[in-house]
Amino acid sequence: MDAIRITNLVKRYGAVTAVENLSLSVRPGRIFGFLGPNGSGKSTTIGCLTGLLDPTSGTVELLGQVFDSENAAIKKRIGVMPETLGLFDPLYAKEFLAFVARMFGLDEVTTRQRVTELLDALELTDSSKTLAEYSTGMRKRVAFAAAVIHSPEVLFLDEPFESIDPAGVALMKQWLRRFADQGRTVFMTTHVLETVERICHDVAIITKPGKLVWEGDVTLLANDGSLTCNGQEFRTLESLFLHLTGEKYTDLNWL
Amino acid sequence: MNFELIGVLIRLRYKLLWAKTRTRNGKIALFFAGYLLLVMVIALLAAGGVGAGMAAIRSGKAMSIAGVLLGGIYGQAIVASVVLGFGMTAIFSETELRRYPVRALERRLTRHFIGIVDPYWLLFLTLDLGLAFGLYLFGAGSFWLGLIAALLLFCSNYVAARVLGMLVDRLMMKKGGSAIMLVCIMLLGLLPAMLGPVIRRNPRIVDAVARLWQSTPPAGAAVAMTHADLAAWSGLGLILLWTAALVAFLVMLERRPPKTRVAQAGKVAWESPFDRIGAIFGPQTGALVAHWLRFYSRHNRFRTIYPLALPLAAFLQFFYGRQVHAAGGTFAISVSVFLILGFVGTAQFAVNQFGYVGGGFRRFLLLPTGAATAFRAGSYMFVMLSAALILPAAVLWSLFVPARFDPRAIVMLVACSVTSLFFFHGIALWTSLLGPRRGNYNQSFGNDLSFAGNLVVIGGMLSLLFLPQLAAKQWPGALTPNYWWVALMAALAAAVFYFTSLHFATALFRVKREGLMILLEGKG
Repeated sequence: MDAIRITNLVKRYGAVTAVENLSLSVRPGRIFGFLGPNGSGKSTTIGCLTGLLDPTSGTVELLGQVFDSENAAIKKRIGVMPETLGLFDPLYAKEFLAFVARMFGLDEVTTRQRVTELLDALELTDSSKTLAEYSTGMRKRVAFAAAVIHSPEVLFLDEPFESIDPAGVALMKQWLRRFADQGRTVFMTTHVLETVERICHDVAIITKPGKLVWEGDVTLLANDGSLTCNGQEFRTLESLFLHLTGEKYTDLNWL
Repeated sequence: MNFELIGVLIRLRYKLLWAKTRTRNGKIALFFAGYLLLVMVIALLAAGGVGAGMAAIRSGKAMSIAGVLLGGIYGQAIVASVVLGFGMTAIFSETELRRYPVRALERRLTRHFIGIVDPYWLLFLTLDLGLAFGLYLFGAGSFWLGLIAALLLFCSNYVAARVLGMLVDRLMMKKGGSAIMLVCIMLLGLLPAMLGPVIRRNPRIVDAVARLWQSTPPAGAAVAMTHADLAAWSGLGLILLWTAALVAFLVMLERRPPKTRVAQAGKVAWESPFDRIGAIFGPQTGALVAHWLRFYSRHNRFRTIYPLALPLAAFLQFFYGRQVHAAGGTFAISVSVFLILGFVGTAQFAVNQFGYVGGGFRRFLLLPTGAATAFRAGSYMFVMLSAALILPAAVLWSLFVPARFDPRAIVMLVACSVTSLFFFHGIALWTSLLGPRRGNYNQSFGNDLSFAGNLVVIGGMLSLLFLPQLAAKQWPGALTPNYWWVALMAALAAAVFYFTSLHFATALFRVKREGLMILLEGKG
C-alpha cells in the first residue's frame, strides 16, 4: 500500500491550469522531495493533498483511502506545515500548540508533555511573545511543531527549511530521518537541492503547470551514482533540475 | 526633498485603490462611493457651506454661527476618523515606506500627504471651503483670507485627528487601556446630560468656556472668515500656532515608539475559562469555541465594543425614553432597545467572522473536523456572547425602568432580543461568506467591514431603532405586553431562520473556502 497515491490530478483556477494530470505515488517510510520552479504548482498540489483545495479532477489516496477535504479520519493521521504557516497571531506558542493538539484528539497529559518538549527542543521558550511578535524562523518552528505534535503517519512540509537557522534545520532533518525510519512518510517541497540530496529518498520534479517531468530515487547520488534522464546522466540534482526546468538566465550587462 | 518619489508613492496609493475595483464587489463599491461622494460634495458645498454662510449672515451673528459650525465640522472629523477609522487605514505605514529610498522626513511627509488627500478628508475640506465661500458671497470677510483660513483649519484638523488617533492607539496597547477607553466613551456619551444641571447651577461656566473657545482653531477660522481687517490675521495666526503645536506633538509621538504590553503566558491553556465555557459545545466544537473566545478576547476593538453593549442599551432607553412624544411610549422604546441588544455587542465581528484571522484561516481547514466546523463554532460563540447580555438587561430593565411590573413585558422584551439575536446572527453567517473583508486585528478603532457588512450592521441598527416606533405609530396598541406571544413566535421563527441558515451556509462555506483563504491571506 502506498502512503500517498495521486492519480490524474488536475487543478484549475478558471482558465488557468495550476496542476495538469499529475500522477505519482510515495511508498511508506520514504522522504519524498517534490521539486519545481516558482509557480509550478507545488503548493497547489500540497493543497489538494491536504484538503485545503478541491481538485478539479483526479483522485488523491492517503494511507490507502480516497481522501477529500471532509475526510476527518485521514486528516487526523496526517500533519501539515503549510506554506503560509496557518498561525493565529494573537496566541502564544503554547496556546496554539495546545489548541492544535486538542483538535487532533490528544489528552491533557500528552498535550502538556508534547507541547513542553517541542517548545524546549525548538527553542521556543520565550513565553512573553505572541506568535505575531516571533521572527519568521521562529514562526516556522511553531508551524513545524504543530504539524508533528500528534505524531502523524504522513507529514506534508511546504518549504520547511527556508528562514530557519542551521541548527534548527539540522534538528529538523534529524527528526525527519527518524520519522521515516519508523515507517512514516514525509512529502516536502523545498528549493534547497543540497538538502534534498542529503535527506530525501525519492524526488519528483514538476514544471509549469504542475506537470511531472521526472521521478526517481536520489539515494544513488550518495553512493557516487548518477541520475538518468532521457539517456543523459547527471551527477547532481541541481544539474538535472536545471536541465528539466529549462531555467535560462539572461545575462544583464548592467548588473 | 525628493518630491518626485513622494508623488509616485501618493499615486501608488490611488493605483492600489483602483486595483481593488477589478473585482465585481470592488466595482459595486466604487460606483456607490463615487456616486455618494459626488452627491455629498454637491450637497455639502451648496447646502452645508454656502447655505450655512447665508444663514449666518442673515442672523446677524455671522462670527458666532460660523464658529459653532466650524467647531462641529472639526469635532466630527476627529471623532469619525478616530472611532470609525475613515481616512486612516489607507495611510502607508512607516515600515512599508522604509522599502523606498526616502529619508525619515520624506517618509513622514509622504504618509501625511497620503492621509490628507484621502477622499474622506476632502469632504471636510469641501465643508470648510463652502462655509468660507458662503460667508464671502453674502458680504462677510475677504475671499482670500477665508480661503487661507479654511485650508489652515483643514490642516490643523487633520493633524489633531492624527494626534488623538495615536494617543488612543497607545492607550489601547496599555494594560487596562480598553477599560479606560470604555469609561471615556461612556463619559463622552453622558456629558451633555451631565453638563445641563452643572451649567444651571454655575452660569459662569458658560462664559469661561466661551473664552476658552475663542482660542481654538475653529474660532480663529471663524474670525478670519468673517473679517477683512487685522482681526482676520489674528485668527489666521491662532490657527497657525495651533497647527504648529499639534505638528510638534505629532512628531514627538511618532519619534517615541509605543511601549507594547508584555503579557506572560501562563500554563498550557487547557483549563482556562474559555475552555470551560467551550466545553458546553462538546469536545471538538468546544475547543473551537474556546479558541474563538481566546482570539477575540485579545482583540482591542472587540474588548471595547462588547462591554459597551449594555451601557449603550441603557443610554438609548433613557435618552429616547425621555422623549414623551415617542410613539408607543416607553415600552416601544424598550422593544427597540432589546432588539438592538440582541446584536449590537457582536455585530461588527459576526458579519465578518474570519476577517481578522488572516493566515490562521488555513489552519481551520487542516484540522480533523469538517471544514465548516470552525465557521459554526465562531457563530455559536457570537450568539452565546450576545445572549449573555439579554438576562442582565432584563433584570436591569425591571429594576430601573419606571413601569408597573408585568411579567408579560419581560417575556416580550426578552423574546424581542432573542428574535434579533437569531435573525441577525443568521444574516451574519451569509455576510461572512458573501461579503468578507480582510481586517486589521491590531487596529483599535475603525471600520473594516465590506459594503454588505456595513449594510447589515448600520442598516440593521437603524431599522431596529426606528421600525418599532413606526409600527407603534401605524398600529397603536400593537407594541404592548398584551402581544407577548407574538414576540415569542417571532423568536421561534428567527431561531428556525438561524439554524436553517447555519445548515445552508455551512454548505456554501465548503464552496467558498478557497476564495476566502485567498482573500484573508491578502492574495486576492
